[in-house]
Amino acid sequence: QTQLIKGKIAEVTGSPVPGVNIILKGTSVGTTSDANGEFSLQASTSDVLVISFIGYQTQEVEVGTQTQINVVLQEDVSTLTEVVVVGYGEQKKKLVTGANVQVAGETLQKQNQVNPLQALQGQAPGVSIMSTSGQPGADMKVVVRGLGTIGNSGPLYVIDGVPNGDISILNPNDIKSIDVLKDAASAAIYGAQAANGVVLVTTKTGSAGKSQVTFDAYTGLQNVNRKADMLNADQYKTIMNEAALNSGSAPIDFSSMNGLADTKWMDYMFKKNAKTSNYTLGITGGSDKSTYAISLGYLNQEGIVGGKAVSNYERYSFRTNSEHKLYDGILKVGQHLNFNYIKNNGVDVGNQYSNTVRGAFNTSPLSPVYSDNNLYDSPYNDTRNSPWYNGDGNPYGFMMTTVNNRNNAQKMLADVFAELAPIKNLKFKSILSLNYYSTDYRSFKPLYQFSVYSYNSDHTTTSQNTSNGNTITWSNTATYDLDLNDHYFSAMIGMETQRFQGSKLSGSNWNLLSQFNDFSHAYLSNTVGQAHLDSDGNVIETRVVGGGPENLYRRVSYFARLSYNYKEKYLFNGTIRRDGSSRFAQGNRWGVFPSFSAGWVLSNENFAAGLSDWMNFFKLRASWGQVGNQDILDFQYAAPINTSTNVSSTNLAANYTFGNNNVNVPGAYPSRFSNPSLKWETSEQTDIGFDAKTLGNRLDIAFDYYIKTTKDWLVTPPILATAGAAAPVINGGSVKNRGVELGLNWSANVGELKYQLGVNGAYNKNTVGAIPTDDGIIHGLTNMLYDNSEEFYRAQNGYAIGYFWGFKTAGLFQSQDDIVAWKEAGNGVLQNDVRPGDVKYVDTNHDGKIDSNDKTDLGHGMPNVTFGFNIGAQYKGFDLSITAYGAAGNKIVQSYRNHANKYANYTTEILDRWTGEGTSNRIPRVTETNVNWQFSDLYVHNGDYLRISNIALGYDLSRLIKSSYLSKMRVYVQGQNLFTFTKYNGMDPEIGYGTDKWVAGVDLGYYPRPKIVMMGVNFKF
Amino acid sequence: NFYRTVADAEMALVGCYDGYQRTSSNGNLAFYVTSEVLSDNTYGGTGSTDGRGYQALDRFDPSQSPADNNLFNGTWSDYYAGIFRCNKLLSKLDGVNFESKPEARVRIEGETRFLRALMYFDLVRLFEKVPLLTAPTTDNVPQASPAEIYKQIAEDLKFAAANIPADAYPKANAAQNDGRVTSYAAKALLARVYLFYTGYYGVDDLGVTKAEVLAGLEDVVASNEFGLLTEYKALWPASSYVPAANNTLDRSGYAGEGNKETVFAQKFNNTQDYNGNVDGNRWLVMMGMRNTNWSPYGKGWGACTVEPKLVAAFDSDDKRKSASIIDIAGESITGFDVKGQREYTGYSNKKYTPTALPDGSSNTGGSNDFQISQDQDFVVIRYADVLLMAAEMGSPNAQTYYDAVRTRAGLSSRAVTQANILEERRLEFAFEGLRYWDLLRQGLSTAASTLAETQDVLSAGVADQVVIKEADITKTRGFMQIPTTQITLSNGVLVQNNGWN
Repeated sequence: QTQLIKGKIAEVTGSPVPGVNIILKGTSVGTTSDANGEFSLQASTSDVLVISFIGYQTQEVEVGTQTQINVVLQEDVSTLTEVVVVGYGEQKKKLVTGANVQVAGETLQKQNQVNPLQALQGQAPGVSIMSTSGQPGADMKVVVRGLGTIGNSGPLYVIDGVPNGDISILNPNDIKSIDVLKDAASAAIYGAQAANGVVLVTTKTGSAGKSQVTFDAYTGLQNVNRKADMLNADQYKTIMNEAALNSGSAPIDFSSMNGLADTKWMDYMFKKNAKTSNYTLGITGGSDKSTYAISLGYLNQEGIVGGKAVSNYERYSFRTNSEHKLYDGILKVGQHLNFNYIKNNGVDVGNQYSNTVRGAFNTSPLSPVYSDNNLYDSPYNDTRNSPWYNGDGNPYGFMMTTVNNRNNAQKMLADVFAELAPIKNLKFKSILSLNYYSTDYRSFKPLYQFSVYSYNSDHTTTSQNTSNGNTITWSNTATYDLDLNDHYFSAMIGMETQRFQGSKLSGSNWNLLSQFNDFSHAYLSNTVGQAHLDSDGNVIETRVVGGGPENLYRRVSYFARLSYNYKEKYLFNGTIRRDGSSRFAQGNRWGVFPSFSAGWVLSNENFAAGLSDWMNFFKLRASWGQVGNQDILDFQYAAPINTSTNVSSTNLAANYTFGNNNVNVPGAYPSRFSNPSLKWETSEQTDIGFDAKTLGNRLDIAFDYYIKTTKDWLVTPPILATAGAAAPVINGGSVKNRGVELGLNWSANVGELKYQLGVNGAYNKNTVGAIPTDDGIIHGLTNMLYDNSEEFYRAQNGYAIGYFWGFKTAGLFQSQDDIVAWKEAGNGVLQNDVRPGDVKYVDTNHDGKIDSNDKTDLGHGMPNVTFGFNIGAQYKGFDLSITAYGAAGNKIVQSYRNHANKYANYTTEILDRWTGEGTSNRIPRVTETNVNWQFSDLYVHNGDYLRISNIALGYDLSRLIKSSYLSKMRVYVQGQNLFTFTKYNGMDPEIGYGTDKWVAGVDLGYYPRPKIVMMGVNFKF
Repeated sequence: NFYRTVADAEMALVGCYDGYQRTSSNGNLAFYVTSEVLSDNTYGGTGSTDGRGYQALDRFDPSQSPADNNLFNGTWSDYYAGIFRCNKLLSKLDGVNFESKPEARVRIEGETRFLRALMYFDLVRLFEKVPLLTAPTTDNVPQASPAEIYKQIAEDLKFAAANIPADAYPKANAAQNDGRVTSYAAKALLARVYLFYTGYYGVDDLGVTKAEVLAGLEDVVASNEFGLLTEYKALWPASSYVPAANNTLDRSGYAGEGNKETVFAQKFNNTQDYNGNVDGNRWLVMMGMRNTNWSPYGKGWGACTVEPKLVAAFDSDDKRKSASIIDIAGESITGFDVKGQREYTGYSNKKYTPTALPDGSSNTGGSNDFQISQDQDFVVIRYADVLLMAAEMGSPNAQTYYDAVRTRAGLSSRAVTQANILEERRLEFAFEGLRYWDLLRQGLSTAASTLAETQDVLSAGVADQVVIKEADITKTRGFMQIPTTQITLSNGVLVQNNGWN
């Protein structure tokens, strides 16, 4: 006897919940709630409705005599049944014995960031993420638990089980969750690639039930948060004149110079209201046999430096995931396909010689932006004849004229998998994946003349490069679960092989056909430059072509894991992995990486029963493991002979010309020493922590303490010049990272207000061990802060990696007496002709002279402390979210000015310079030399900051517009990076950039992250 | 599998030549430029806002540029990279199968050892005590004594002189082989080494006698391979080019590369770029008039402004004066960038300077970038030097040799004395990188007193003074600063030269 039962499903707040499964217990008969949360089905009085929905507690309701059943879903705050993704599988979160952190896709999507890693900032304690530039599409510097090496320190990314994917190109809307494996025990199943942590990305899949269509869109305007404050013309003249007088030069007669400008270069460099927009269409659905998820996305972000023409990022993304059950679920097959097409172009964001923004710091305001035609186009706009200084470039003209590049990249990450479960508890899984990329780049160097140093007046050059390659990975695992009453075992064994191959092609040629002389026509086919004779009758080849294979790389791995628990109270995990890699010579190819971890769920003990009111869950865990790093170029173990083929700026030709015909004869030489004993870099880590849930499951706590030691670094140490060739990569050097991490999450309801608070923080201390060079130091690069500047960072025993190494200062000499007293006290001075107003460099070893022996630790660019918090609240269709993150303990080296150029502009900080006794004790008198600007703590600033990265306020209009199709229509306004609290006076305190990959916080004129104001909609049908 | 065949060895030998070329084409502080800055031919010069590294050299005074303690790091590295290539090839020669061409074995070894000797000779003159490596090693090698280094140089040169067949690279075929090491080049270089070593150190223990060295020079003369050009100015592009119609240069007055007066040259090509081709004469641009194109002279960075006392030393009849020196006022050159020039004296080097077309554009081949496309060869040893060295060492034909050089310059005969020869050398070889070493081999005190001076100049258009102190020169004993980076890397095994710490 069945009758029609009707009902409605709602949240605590009263809003209807569509898509909820309602099944008659013990049957497969059921339905799902519609857009209004309503459902109806036939049931008998003895039936029990099972109402389930992800993220909510499953409820059972006896039908009895009811015909109208309204259900209020209770959110499953006790997320103990959650599963987290671990290497080659999943695990119940409550049984995890390692240190890992999961961030839900929704959390990431709310941020509306271009790159998933940006959205992850401040969400995962112990995972430091810094942008290396604010340019759209720029890389993020990701460091898990402190820098472990001066080599590649980025984590391994595994996307849907496939290692070595590119996370930065994923559409954040496609991500279901990101799990970061922080400790060695969790990561060790990835062996030789896991020394710097592992980031597991899971993309969205469909679920059985009603199909759903979502459409998300936003559009926003971006602006620079803070421009560097440079001297204007009057201030500049004052300083130049004063510097000349202080240096014994004649005063400068500006009045005799006609046509001096007052150019605010910063205003030209930054574009106001640069646009950004994003559209994503998603479709998910499925039956109990097949599920699918399809999405289509388009994103565009203009750069705030120069705007779309010179700095822009565009992404088209496509994704389909599906899964199918065959033979009653014995066999499951599925696939993932991510395809991204990215078009981008950009300004230079590298070191002082390739940094577009930096030009604006070093050009005087007296130089004009335009000469006559007010255009930056061909024929070029010659601004070299500034009456003040003909060496002044034109940073704006240079940017708008010479930044002509376009990069098109297609990246596909695809896999098919099959999972066979022939008998209960036994599963075989096989994944075959293809990671394919193809890039196509072209650039055009036009004619220009901006200064006597900055010009190209002979010929234009057009270049095109393409490359493509693919990585095929095949992994196979077998899992067997065994449940012997209270003893639960799960064993997994597997193997994986990987092969990379690729090729590249490049060409360049001079001069375009005259009617095609611009960037849009800059293709090699339109060039006319061909071999011709120069004035000496020598043959000049203007066309350069090259092509070749990428180095083939192969890896084979075997691994196993055993998990055991007794009544979910005592937990144990062990893994072992053996990796073989072609990056090493035969004999050193194989490495073995073990790990063990254990947990004890105290809250399941009888003695804890009385505490369960407030301590709902408490688990202690400890782990130990070893992981490796092999992230170096191929063939580093061998000594190559350079034969003048494949010539590039890093592979110099060995030609010589005999006779008088200017013909190059190719030579050969060994360019690098070999190191056949090269082997894995190893990282060993011990972790102790706990996970807890208290106060009625409303407060989540996760705490970790770790010691991570990385040894046998793969490094290229500096080598004595007498060796005569480049140093090989060697194993040597070590670093210890120690730290604590704490994550707190609170969620609760107050009436109809639902809110969540999350706070997390991490502290890490980084200390380098012995370095295997004669002087025990890995030296930083020179010429990085200004022309001919000295080394200013290094890696050395007892200090943090990449600590800043320079002079301490003790203020300024205020008077001649002060100088005399300083010298009488036995202190040295660096200035040849020291005067009041000069810097007191501290004679730290007190030997009466200032030299490199006095240089000392001035702090480091990587933060000791990173933290983040987020706030979420929902009330009657309104929602608010705030996300913030920050760092402390990090220093920033700011070098905006090229002190080797006496005409370079200053920031207005120089207005506080010393001009007489007592006027300043920090900013020295101005001179035409850089003797007061040797690298010292004057360059070093505190880099602590707190950034409110996201504030969003939304309202769900579907509460007002009742439609049976529309279940959600949220409109929102959002601000990104609206507030940054810092004492740093530069344009942006979040500086992941360093002149080497093991140093951060070097501000040479940093492309700042924009401040964005946007509005958007989320539709769900 | 390299270093197996004769072709491999020949290719590796070219690699050694390239290594020697890189000591100029890598763009580091070149031996030539240093030699001129240190001498009393030129001051440091350069741009008025540039660093004062060249001033530190010119005045033997590190306090001119206290932060510059790595001026020679690139130079030092370039030389050792070149030496490494030679050592590597020499160590592999025994494994090369020379069956198809047995005579190539000693020729290749001779050329390689010459290049190694030449590079050590530059190093030992610049820094005196340097690590002496005769086989490839990554060891932290301490500095050797000058005696050991000079002995090795002499041995290498003797080997080259004795083993490179006299007809290996005949002058008649200079269009194809100019730049190759010949036994004559080895004999001439050995004489230069002998004169410097015995002169500066006052000892004669090189393992070769003066008579043997002189005999080598006489061989060069007797070979009839070489001769003096009729016109002195024909030796140099900028001295002999004449602006002509249709924006061209009349080059007919230039004798060209590999002319009969060239005994050995460091060759350059105009193919230099920023993508891995390093073949250019990178220091030539330093010598050009600062930012001033005045055809046939091309612009450069204004290093090595010419000392007025050198200009005054030329006799007014001496044809070499106008062939060697650009007289900015005297040649009515206008538009000179005085404001940008440091230590302006009114004179510039004409022998080694970029050239320009009549319309003021730079005259180089390649990608026509005046900063990197310069390819004027550096003539390391000129036949006039062979004649004057032979005269100085007491050749029976000393007077003939000496007069030949003087007559070509348009001067009359003069008694062939040591002092006269040295004065002749100063004028004959002005701006050829020889003067400083000729002074030093007359003894440190002679060198120091000759170099010391106070001279008024203009820097950035305002009055400035160059003050070179005898005491500073004496303190350094005439040697240069060992790069601090290398001392640090060696953990103190390398010891800094006096006067530079």
